Amino acid sequence: MISFLGKSPELQLEKDASSRYLPIVIAAMVFLASLALIGLFSLHSAVQSWSSAVSGNLTVEIAYEDGVDLDKKMAKAAKFLKKFPGIEEVNPLSIDEAARLLEPYLGRADIIKQLPLPRLIEVTISEGSSVDLLATAKKLSTEVPGAILNTHRPWLDKMILLARSVQFLAAAIMLLVGVVTVIIIVFAARTGMVMHQAIIEVLHLIGARDNYIAQQFQNYFARLCLIGAIPGSVIAILTMQLLSLLAGRLEAGLISAPTLILEGWIALAMVPILVVLLTTVTVRWIVMGSLKRMM
Amino acid sequence: MVRFENVGMRYGMGPEVLRDINMHLKPGSFHFLTGPTGAGKSSLLKLLALSHRPSRGLLTLFGQEVSKLQREDLPSFRRKIGVVFQEFRLLNHLSALDNVALPLRISGADEDQIHTNVTELLRWVGLGEQMFAKPPTLSGGEKQRVAIARAVINRPQLLIADEPTGSMDPEMGLRLMHLFQELNKLGTTVVIATHDIELIRRFSSPVMFLQEGTLHHSGAEEYLKRHRRSKV
Repeated sequence: MISFLGKSPELQLEKDASSRYLPIVIAAMVFLASLALIGLFSLHSAVQSWSSAVSGNLTVEIAYEDGVDLDKKMAKAAKFLKKFPGIEEVNPLSIDEAARLLEPYLGRADIIKQLPLPRLIEVTISEGSSVDLLATAKKLSTEVPGAILNTHRPWLDKMILLARSVQFLAAAIMLLVGVVTVIIIVFAARTGMVMHQAIIEVLHLIGARDNYIAQQFQNYFARLCLIGAIPGSVIAILTMQLLSLLAGRLEAGLISAPTLILEGWIALAMVPILVVLLTTVTVRWIVMGSLKRMM
Repeated sequence: MVRFENVGMRYGMGPEVLRDINMHLKPGSFHFLTGPTGAGKSSLLKLLALSHRPSRGLLTLFGQEVSKLQREDLPSFRRKIGVVFQEFRLLNHLSALDNVALPLRISGADEDQIHTNVTELLRWVGLGEQMFAKPPTLSGGEKQRVAIARAVINRPQLLIADEPTGSMDPEMGLRLMHLFQELNKLGTTVVIATHDIELIRRFSSPVMFLQEGTLHHSGAEEYLKRHRRSKV
């Protein structure tokens, strides 16, 4: 009887030098595929987080004008905005608060305060409300000249486009890894068939079915791939954790650490299983095809 | 049992190695197949063992035309055929016991039954002490006995043996020929390819003589007379 974890009793495929290093190749392939998958899901999470952070928030920017009382202009704009239905909170930022926001990029806050900075008002929209942002922006600029309502949408759209392109690239890498893995398996299985042709002939002549022979090949290759796929996955997860740690240390709001949602973890766990299934199907297809050409 | 009607065989696009072969082997018959080297004996045995298909003509085995057999039908037909290859074709990494047990394992027999039957047969062929020895450690004669035991363990309906006694001493050769005879008495059709005139003389079974790809039939006596004449 041939069991999945048992050795190939007649063909002795375990002694083949040709496929001995297959687990290392498979580990590398699984590592690359897992990294691509982690990137794909992390970007998905990042896009979600950017969207949710930006969609409920607007910024009103009041341009700096020499000799103009910007505090007065801010108060006028805030008063105007509070009248709009659907606007939950209007928070004019003081010059100190604005300087503190710029401190990580420009240096000391006390020096920044002396620069001709625009003034900012943070606006939060009530959840589920449908504020006409275009009309609001138009009315605001008429009411308070120099005030610009910034919805962050163009910036977000560009970021999403970039993220989607990288996700597409990650998916293409996964596909490429899959194709290369299949090609490697095809060559290894064909080499195995050639090396063991004499024994296969004997097995056929004493009444072995094609399935009996194919099972020995598919179990052996599936086992080799599993041996390679598990370390490949583990190394990819460790790499992800290391990148998370490094990204966390950057303390940059925009660059989020790679995080996986539940679906991501499930997909990651499925990679070794899929590789084993892909191997089994490929080897069976190759071996059965070759056996059919024999009598 | 076995019927050849105008059978021809070629390898790939090469010339015909067997031409217009006609023969009918009745169930339970015993035949010698002989002929000079290169006459096509091995090719004829390959057709009988279902290792190759004829290029033309009709080959019927166990009442079924071979050309009409589906691929999935071949294993069950092959299990009815025991083959002793000239070059033994044993699996070197398996013990003598496992080599002989292989046809039974492949057909899904019970392990206890396999062990009992194989052990008994190996003792009978004089390999009781070498059951766990691997083929590379066995002599030519011992390997041949393992190959014969593997061919007969399944009680085949058709037994084909290519020079089965070539590598062993006359006494053991005779003992194995008697095993073939016993199987033959139980209904197995036996075809033995040999160059050994002594063997043909001793067992006096019908002889099929291959010459330049064509098959001729004769009785043992007639063949031996012709052989003596050709020697003179």
